[in-house]
Order: sequence, then C-alpha cells, then structure tokens
Amino acid sequence: MTLLGLERVSFWYPASDRPALRDVSLRVGRGEIVALVGNVGAGCSTLLSVAAGLAPRVTGGRLEGTVTFPGPGTTGEGRALLLPVPWTQLSGMGASVRDEVAFGPANLGWPLARIRAAAERAMAGAAVAHLADRDPLTLSGGELQRVMLAGVLAMEPALLLLDEPTAELDGDGAAALWALVRDEAGRGAAVIVATTDLDAVPVVAHRVVWLADGRVRADATPTTVFGDDAIWRDGPGGPTVAEVWRTAGLAPPWPVSVTMAARAR
Amino acid sequence: MTPVLSCDRVSFAYGGRPVLRDVSCVVAPGEAVAVIGRNGAGKTTLTRLIAGLERAGTGTVWVGGRDAARHRADELARRVAVVFQHADQQLFARTVREDVAFGPRALGVPHRESAIRVAAALAELRLDDVAHEHPYDLPAPMRKLAALAGALALAPVLLVLDEPTAGLDRALRARVASVIRTRRAAGCAVLVVTHDIAFAAETLDRALVLDGGAVAFDGAIAELCRDPVRLRALGLREPPVAALSRTLDLPGRPVRIDDAAPIVAACCASGGLPYIGESHGQT
Repeated sequence: MTLLGLERVSFWYPASDRPALRDVSLRVGRGEIVALVGNVGAGCSTLLSVAAGLAPRVTGGRLEGTVTFPGPGTTGEGRALLLPVPWTQLSGMGASVRDEVAFGPANLGWPLARIRAAAERAMAGAAVAHLADRDPLTLSGGELQRVMLAGVLAMEPALLLLDEPTAELDGDGAAALWALVRDEAGRGAAVIVATTDLDAVPVVAHRVVWLADGRVRADATPTTVFGDDAIWRDGPGGPTVAEVWRTAGLAPPWPVSVTMAARAR
Repeated sequence: MTPVLSCDRVSFAYGGRPVLRDVSCVVAPGEAVAVIGRNGAGKTTLTRLIAGLERAGTGTVWVGGRDAARHRADELARRVAVVFQHADQQLFARTVREDVAFGPRALGVPHRESAIRVAAALAELRLDDVAHEHPYDLPAPMRKLAALAGALALAPVLLVLDEPTAGLDRALRARVASVIRTRRAAGCAVLVVTHDIAFAAETLDRALVLDGGAVAFDGAIAELCRDPVRLRALGLREPPVAALSRTLDLPGRPVRIDDAAPIVAACCASGGLPYIGESHGQT
C-alpha cells in the first residue's frame, strides 16, 4: 500500500533557476525500505525535504507536481526527518537528553504519559538510555546522532526519512542503526534513507533509487541498480563486493554483498 | 629521521572524565596512519591535543620536535594542519578562494608564494570551478573539500583529517585518497581519524586503534583487517574486501579492491567462484 506518492515533482530552491528535482515520480509503501543514492548535489537531501513536507513549506522555493501523504495530518505528524549533521537538529530546548527526545512528541500534543513512554522506548531503541540525564551539548558526535534518532523515533512516524544516518557512527553504531531501520519497517513504517554507505544498501534496502542531477535514473532492486555499469561511470558507484567483480573485468550481474558472493557457491 | 609526531605517555581528562590514557605513538614523515576506534574512544581529543587546542594532562605531544603544550595553536599551524569533522566550523570567508588563502596569509606567507599554494590546492581538489562561490552555497561535502584545500595551502608537515570521507561520494572520496597519496610522496605525514575502515584499508598503511582512551592496536592495517575477532572486540566493522577474502578463502587474504580483483578473476576463470562472467574489456 502506497504511503508516500510523488507524481512528476520538480522543485526549485528560492533564487535558483536550476531545479533541484526534475520530474520525480516515486511511491513508497508501508514496511518498505528505499535507499536513495546519488552523487553529491544529485538531490537526495532535497527529495527527503519534499517527502518530509518541509520543502517548500519551510525552505521556500517552488514545487510542481503532486505529493501525496495520507498519514494522520499532512503538516508534520506521521513523518519525521533525521538530518545528517546532528547538532543542526538540536532543539536547544532540552536540558537533558530525555527532554530533547521528548521534544518532538510534546509538539505533537500527546498526553504526558504517552510522551514519556514514547521517549523512554525510543531512547532504549537507539541505545541512548544511559545518556538520558546528560546535557545534549556535552555528547560526542556519534552519541548525539543516536539521540537525534531517538527524537525522531519517539514521534512514531509512519514515514521515516533518514539523511546520512551513519555519518557519525562507529561500526557497532552503524550496525545497530541498520538493524533498527529494519525493525521500524517491520512494524510497518515506510523508510527512505539517503546514504553513501553503499555496502549497507543491499543488506538493508528493498529498493534503490538512483538520483542524478535531480532526476530518477534508476528505481529497482540493489542487484539491478548496481549491476548497471552506468551507476559506476556517472553515479555514486556501488557496494565494494560488486566493485571487486567489476574491477576483475567480469560481466554483471555482480554480487552486491559478501553473503551473496558466498551463497551461490 | 625526526618523527613528525610523537606522543609520549599522553593522558587527558575532560573535567574528571578520563578521555586519553597513557597514549604513546610515533609518526614518521611520509607515513599515513588511520586513527580508529569506537565513538568516544578519544580520537577527536587526540587531534585537538596535536593541534594545540587542548593541553595534555600528563605526558607530552611533540609536533615536529616542538612540545604542543608550549606553543600557541597558531604557531603549531606552521607545521600541522587540521581539518575538523564539520568543515562549517572552519570556513568563514566570502569565497572558497579567499578561505583557502586565509591560512597562508595569517602565517605571513609572501603574497606570491601564497597565490601559488592556493592555486595548487584548488587544482589538486578540483575546486577551480567553485573557487568564486560562497562556501555556504556549496553542498556540505564540497565545503569539506574546501576546508581540506585550506589545510593543504598551509603546506604542513603533518596533515590531520577528522572523518574526511563522511558523506562523500565515491568520486570525492577518490579525490581525498589522491591528496593523501601525493602529500605522503612529498614527505608529509597524514593522520586520518575515521570510522570508514574500508577507506582506511584502501588508502592507508598503518592503524592506530584507540579503545577507552588507550592504544589497543598499532600496526599494519592489513593485519588488523584480517583479524575479525579483534575487530569485533574493538567495535570495528570488518571491511568488505577483508570479509569477502575470509568468506571465500581467497589466497593471500587481500584487503584492497585492486589486490582482490585479479584473484577473483582467476578463481572465476577456473570455475572456483559463482558469478562467472565474460570479460567485457573493463579498464
């Protein structure tokens, strides 16, 4: 069932003649994990802003086409975006991590008991419960990224939008994040994640959308998208395992993960 | 040869919280070292000590033969250039070119020499096309490269990069890798703080792993990558090529793409691996 639908969407930032998105059509269903990949400046972050309902409402600019999101309310509730640089997402209103995580649900106007329960659950899920009483401003980059993730999860979004969510995380933290993404999809959330961690993509995502210069260049399974030589020539490339096969001069389809390379033996 | 960097039993605490414990390491000119470890292991703090932004509680950080605690950060800047994780913290001029030129000018480098360095740094990172733009009109990864260009223009003997590849795509990562190689060849030592162990394995030779503020490993990065038990114990992800080599039991257990590819090609040719494809003249 489609949760988010983009129909021929183009978007221009204020004072820019060049569209950041061009004629983008995309559907994402409940329980689905879609990885958004592309070169720097391809429009991945812009697409997330549009999906979050922040562009053009908050960013300004001009949008053509249709965005449908039949979640509960269309002005924020039900969808949440995690920004790539965590301190830019700090509300500045929370003296403790617990307050910071509760900030989102509080703004949704939930009853106090529900806010508290959601915040505790989200902190446990993002493995930051032990930081609950710390001042967010004293955290490391990785800790803060997980706290911001908890703040997003606390709002129990039907549509979860993640922009480079592992940028600040170490190996364990990244693995835990990807597991959490699968859990969220398991409970029925639709997830769109823009990432440069292309090795994680085949393991986590059901579908890969490759954006180039604001357009959808490909929308298919990881094996199909990363098996197209064009994404290696003109785009962000793909998982390391596929790169080994490609560098070896072998023809696609290439295995996209270690598991896949081993399974067919 | 005099080491470029020498940490001698360095400890440091924020308030009462110990962050670095008895850290010792020596880095020679031309060496490229990955500083890796969990979030909160003390990696970024170590870079701040090297840059002279913090002072060691006990022990000494020697940068190019100078005690980092006894010199101001701007004096150390003649030897060590640091690119912080969030480039936004170190860009402030109105154009990328002015920003790159700021460092040499602040150090009193003669105008002609400074202009040469700035042009070279912009060209090396292929930023000529955006040199006239305001740094904040660029996407975050390009701002990161702009900050790196500023560091190169200082012509340091030690280049310290904190998470230089985070958020960068493959093409931009390749530019960073190329800069590391050329600087090393010119005798500059490079210290790369990173969670991107795959990039580290491809680009660098030595790994310094911090765990709980102490040195848990200091040696060849290939050796570390071939030890999944140790990686796990240190909270590190096994890099994909190492995982592939181990899982498929590739001869020689390569950890770099260019080393693994010919072995995979040979195995496929002999029917030893699944994905048998015809060679399509890939270069």
